[in-house]
Amino acid sequence: MQIRKGQRLPLAQLLPENLPDGSFQIQVGMTGLTTEVDFSCFGVDGDQKLADDRYMTFFNQPKTPCGSVSISLMNNRINGFYCTLSSLPASIDRLVITATIDGSETMSRVQSGFLRLVAADRPVAEFAFEGKDFHNEKALILGEFYRKDGAWRFCATGQGFDGGLPALVRHFGGEVADELPTDVAPARLSLEKKVAEAAPQLVDLAKKASISLEKKRLTDVVARVGLVLDASGSMTGQYRRGRVQEVVNRILPLAVHFDDDGELDVWAFSAKPLALPAATLSNYADYIDTVNGGWRKWRMLSYNNEPEVIKEVLAHYKDTAMPVFIIFISDGGVDQNAKIKKLLTEASAQLIFWQFVGIGGRNYGILEKLDTMSGRTVDNCGFFALDDLDSLSEQELYDRLLQELPSWFAEAKSKGIIN
Amino acid sequence: MAISLSKGGNISLSKTDPQLKNMLVGLSWDARSTDGLDFDLDASVFMVKDDNKVRGDHDFIFYNQLKSTCGSVEHTGDNRTGEGDGDDEVIKVVLDKVPQDITKIVVAVTIHDADARRQNFGQVHNAAIRLVNQDTNNEVTRYDLSEDASIETAMIFGEIYRHNNEWKFRAVGQGYSGGLKALAIQHGIQL
Repeated sequence: MQIRKGQRLPLAQLLPENLPDGSFQIQVGMTGLTTEVDFSCFGVDGDQKLADDRYMTFFNQPKTPCGSVSISLMNNRINGFYCTLSSLPASIDRLVITATIDGSETMSRVQSGFLRLVAADRPVAEFAFEGKDFHNEKALILGEFYRKDGAWRFCATGQGFDGGLPALVRHFGGEVADELPTDVAPARLSLEKKVAEAAPQLVDLAKKASISLEKKRLTDVVARVGLVLDASGSMTGQYRRGRVQEVVNRILPLAVHFDDDGELDVWAFSAKPLALPAATLSNYADYIDTVNGGWRKWRMLSYNNEPEVIKEVLAHYKDTAMPVFIIFISDGGVDQNAKIKKLLTEASAQLIFWQFVGIGGRNYGILEKLDTMSGRTVDNCGFFALDDLDSLSEQELYDRLLQELPSWFAEAKSKGIIN
Repeated sequence: MAISLSKGGNISLSKTDPQLKNMLVGLSWDARSTDGLDFDLDASVFMVKDDNKVRGDHDFIFYNQLKSTCGSVEHTGDNRTGEGDGDDEVIKVVLDKVPQDITKIVVAVTIHDADARRQNFGQVHNAAIRLVNQDTNNEVTRYDLSEDASIETAMIFGEIYRHNNEWKFRAVGQGYSGGLKALAIQHGIQL
């Protein structure tokens, strides 16, 4: 069946009955362009927004968490998507199939293009289009599968945006940092590759970290990464339940990406600070339970003395020529406000950015006021609190962790702290 | 709360709003959210007899002839893009003034220059027609066409018709190819 631009149909009219588990394939293709076309599938909510980045399916994120949408490849290029609509979460209201190009060409140069539905290996419907349908677009919405009154429908949209992928991302409610880097593939692939070789269990996290790094335009940044772990008595439960090990797992991909030696510098602190051997892709797996005899033997679990560990971290990076990104985990009860404030104010001319993260606690004291603390050369601190590590998706966690880093880099550069 | 109709449904205007005399027919659609030429939609009205034909060209109310000679139907003007909330085009109908031999008022919308711009109704989002009592501001009924519109370039949104001495409204949602010209010929306009 031929589908015309603008046509809207119940999907049941296009697909044969009794499809095995309701899955079908969407095939896409375009000829006439010299640039490579990037095909993606956006799974958006009822407001047409990409509320969950994990539902953007494309080359670097080849399937949705539910597995309902995955890319299909030919010669290592996307030639379509596999779809099982029945297993999509109810929050996904619409699947939007898009094509984007970079460079100076526009979609009016397309000789011929198609979006085809294939069921049980047989083409059942096709929407064909050509360059005459377009003007200056660099991003196209080819077709949309959407829920309506309890059934799925298809619309051959064939409209787009002159502004390419950034315009498309904005259309779906996403933020675009200034301008997307034109070629980020090498950096992000290299992180995935490094992790895939040494610690395949972390590949999924590495991909998510890559996406956040790309969004924040941090793919080319080189920095040391340090992790400071609250090991005061109130943290005991989180250590015992493996939550702190989870933190190490999630932070390590950032260190592998940013750091020249791929090592994550780690400190634990309670009444006193304790410098631990660096976490790496080869020792991370049981890090908390094994390093220095395991967390129970660290002689921690007393009260929390933040100023001492901050001093030790400052001393450790005193002569570094590279910027340093510190992630500081706390479960609250912060009471040495004046000392912390003085240390961080004095340190604001140094090459260190401090991202404080509160997990599962309260009374974060001065940490909550870090963003507005006056008297600093640059805003060198950020803070957010979570009830639980899993209060945020892994993707959101990376987004939050990296939230303030770009503006610190910019400010530190303008003040001559970073060359 | 206005009664919402689906395609093919009808409602008695006289029963739903016995005070209804001066009626506003509001037509709305979303402005284009993607890049490219705007969707320029035009509303038209055919005042027809029992045989579904106009008495003459003066019974065809559109952007070049905004008011009927009897004064019962008035088109309030053209919105070129669909920008802004609320009704994009409004037609006023004074029911008591409609000549007796006119038994049906057909409200149609066409896409200007659709073929050259390669546009059709399937690309237009949230098209709707609603009837409002101008004196009380009460919305009498509405019909959302969104999923009933497809590859056609002209659509009859709805029709207001006489039935047993009362006025009724039907949600038509019927599309036509060939634009305004085809619709005009069908309703007996000599071109």
